[in-house]
Amino acid sequence: MKIVVAYKWAADPQEATVAADGQVDFSRAKSAVSDYDAVAITVARHLGDTHGADVVGLTVGGPEVATGLATKAALSRGLDALMVVADPALTAAGSTGTAQALATALAGVDDIAVLITGDSSVDVGAKLVPAVVGGLLGWPVLTEVTAVAIEPGALVVERAVSGGTEQLRIDGPAVLAVATDAATVKAPGMKDVLAAAKKPVQQLPADPVVADGTLRSTARLSGPARRGIQISTDDPAAAAAELVSALRADGVLIGGQQ
Amino acid sequence: MNLIIVAGTASVANLVTTAAQLDGETLAVVVGSRAVAERIATSGVDKVIWFGEPGDRPLEAFAPAVAQAATAARPQVVLGGRRPAERVLLGAAAAALRAPALIDVKEVTSQAGTVMVTHGVNGGIAVTTREFSGPVALMVDGGGVAPVQGAAPIEETPAATLPMQVTAVQVTAVTEVDLAAAPRVVGAGRGLRAREDLSIIEALAAALEAELACTRPLAEGLDWLPRDRYLGVSGQHIAPRLYVAVGVSGQLQHLAGVRSAETIVAINSDPKAPVLAEADYALVGDLYELVPAITAALEQP
Repeated sequence: MKIVVAYKWAADPQEATVAADGQVDFSRAKSAVSDYDAVAITVARHLGDTHGADVVGLTVGGPEVATGLATKAALSRGLDALMVVADPALTAAGSTGTAQALATALAGVDDIAVLITGDSSVDVGAKLVPAVVGGLLGWPVLTEVTAVAIEPGALVVERAVSGGTEQLRIDGPAVLAVATDAATVKAPGMKDVLAAAKKPVQQLPADPVVADGTLRSTARLSGPARRGIQISTDDPAAAAAELVSALRADGVLIGGQQ
Repeated sequence: MNLIIVAGTASVANLVTTAAQLDGETLAVVVGSRAVAERIATSGVDKVIWFGEPGDRPLEAFAPAVAQAATAARPQVVLGGRRPAERVLLGAAAAALRAPALIDVKEVTSQAGTVMVTHGVNGGIAVTTREFSGPVALMVDGGGVAPVQGAAPIEETPAATLPMQVTAVQVTAVTEVDLAAAPRVVGAGRGLRAREDLSIIEALAAALEAELACTRPLAEGLDWLPRDRYLGVSGQHIAPRLYVAVGVSGQLQHLAGVRSAETIVAINSDPKAPVLAEADYALVGDLYELVPAITAALEQP
């Protein structure tokens, strides 16, 4: 029995810059296992330990996802083995393209009990890839999953819903996107890092995937023009009074006009 | 033909109006109760496909039914909302159609087989316009319930569903925060030195009758506030009448989440903080002095 975790090797968007023409530049951003995917790996590891199952990581993306730095970073979080689909064509893959690459890789793996993913990627945040993967495989998909257990032939899942939680029973394998707080992530220790270097990494070829249309233009985000009024703070009480009276005049305080 | 996906709620007015602007008729596929299907039928769509009462099946179990309907309809554009089940069903349609899927859609037009989509990228820090010749799946904020308009026929179709069932439901008393609906929001950032100091921000929020929000580090690194309260990237995007940024430096991602606010107030000790340039009212100074002063000023009659 295998538990597969799909994760993304993603650049930190906090370090991205946006040029005047709206081009997003990630060249100076450091990459890592996307934050919530570390939660997914932790959940999968617990599940694997409970059921004596192998925990296999799967990632798809540009050539950088197959570097030793990237694979060790993922393996040191508790994976037993790794499958990697690295191809320049996948660098700019969107949700559907990424999902296609993941589904193709999964089709070659036997005895998968469950595919676990994070809530969303740190750089794109679409929360769509698990849904498309499930659609392509014909597997059930649930998101906001807070707990999962494996029973013979079934998964018992708890998920957060608006105003509470739900327990569900799923027959057969499923795609489960875990909630951001489904597990507490620990930083890998030196032992984990050393062990990671010895774990197997399987590289798989990439098939063509659907493109996100044809790019026509990019632009910076524009919002309402700001007034840029500086309020002197030499006297905090006077500054506060000036601000409150300005906001009242703007009608944005309680009882202000809609 | 364009398709809108409805999952459990008729609050999809934006989907209906977006679809109405496109070339071709609008088909709504409805997963959920008959009442939802009937409400959708009077929202201005041309036809409704309904898969029957879900019973103990979660809405996500209807993914193959939605996929089948999408395949049969051969839509140019598929629209779905942002709620969890809506995302799963939109993803199922995208998978069936091998269609690209985009989020944060700001504008979509279609003409003679070509669809142009303008959407936010990387958490809304920039926008991109793309052209599609084949089908495309788009995530759009559902919005409220559309006004009553027309009466489309409802076709009840027996659905193939996935083997999943809800076995128990627990209701918790925790009140969910809906930052998107709040008219006023106060956001706290790393300018706060300690968790206890949140109390002065909470006092300001109370005086403003505002919801409390934060930047990502406060929710995810420090765990000072729940994750549903952070703004930006995968966090929430809001458009309140007033947003007060306290001790928030103003990373692109956070600003993308609040940029649509009508009025922005920024309080920061660093005169170079990017948030100050994005503010209507900028106060450079110590938040520990300024925030209590503002709270006091608000409490004066």
